[in-house]
Amino acid sequence: MTFAYSDLNLPIRQTTINAHRDSWLRIARPGRWWTGAERVEIARLQREARELHAASSEILPEAAVFAIQKLVVDNANLNRDFYDQTIAAPGMSEDHYVELVAVVVHALSVDEFHRALAIPLEPLPNPQPGDPSRQRPAAAEQKWSWAPIVPKSGLPPELAQHYGPLEWGANVLSALSLIPENLGWLHDLSEAHYLSFREMRMPDPLRAISRPQIELIAARVSALNECFY
Amino acid sequence: MLRESSDRQGTLDSLNLQGAVDHSDSGVPHDSLLTAFAEAAVRQTDALPGLRDRIAAELGPQELVDSAGVVANFQRMVRIADGCGIPLDDFTKEASEDWRHQLGLHQYASAANTA
Repeated sequence: MTFAYSDLNLPIRQTTINAHRDSWLRIARPGRWWTGAERVEIARLQREARELHAASSEILPEAAVFAIQKLVVDNANLNRDFYDQTIAAPGMSEDHYVELVAVVVHALSVDEFHRALAIPLEPLPNPQPGDPSRQRPAAAEQKWSWAPIVPKSGLPPELAQHYGPLEWGANVLSALSLIPENLGWLHDLSEAHYLSFREMRMPDPLRAISRPQIELIAARVSALNECFY
Repeated sequence: MLRESSDRQGTLDSLNLQGAVDHSDSGVPHDSLLTAFAEAAVRQTDALPGLRDRIAAELGPQELVDSAGVVANFQRMVRIADGCGIPLDDFTKEASEDWRHQLGLHQYASAANTA
């Protein structure tokens, strides 16, 4: 069983355990643009990115490897030129990039939870066979972020609900919507680590630390990362 | 999310954007301990084990787990924002204009992508 926290003397919530297991299943499955093996490789390189040596991969394009390292260790200096060069590189596209970002950030978030609590990192999942679906949502549109995004009206109902009342959602929520499944992943890991989208609208959600304490930590992490958004 | 934190009275003073673990009285209980933990977790410093123990002892083990979760979540969210070049949402742009300048956030490299 993956993510068996029962031996630890820590009260890990079942919601968190479920979301971590689900994240590993999502990483292992073929996506829209990357195979399961490629997605697991992206998660592996995400782990290696901090080790200050040039990472390499036998199955990922060079631009993908570079993008993973930038996202992990130099995220404050990402810019439009980097994005344009990445999606124009061999084996890459806007769609590949958005899916890569999703795998990197969700795998990183699970790993960071472990690091913060001194829990050994979970072994990466075995990739599942199959081909990527290579389907871009018909409603995808170039709006305000680098990659196209999908409006609420172009999403299945179970994912559209995450946008709340907004047709294009909050920018940070719609940013990865070129791969619509990312919205569910984004929500579920938010609920596990922070708050569900519904709880974000509550002044005093049920957590052991208060909402001001939650937001203080959030703000500090954002400031340390020099994240303007 | 960060926006909501900043709207809350007292929280802004504890962002401590310039220093390391310095702290001003924000009115948020255990503010210096929690911000120190966030910093140690993000930077993986040697202070992390001791801060873990302090949070578990002074606040409780569930509080420690929930604090770690928030760190993990925002390590993800900042990379989504930075990696996708998203602008500020219209509904917060005006509201945050003054304090963004006050805190010097426009000096961040990522401001060029987001403003």
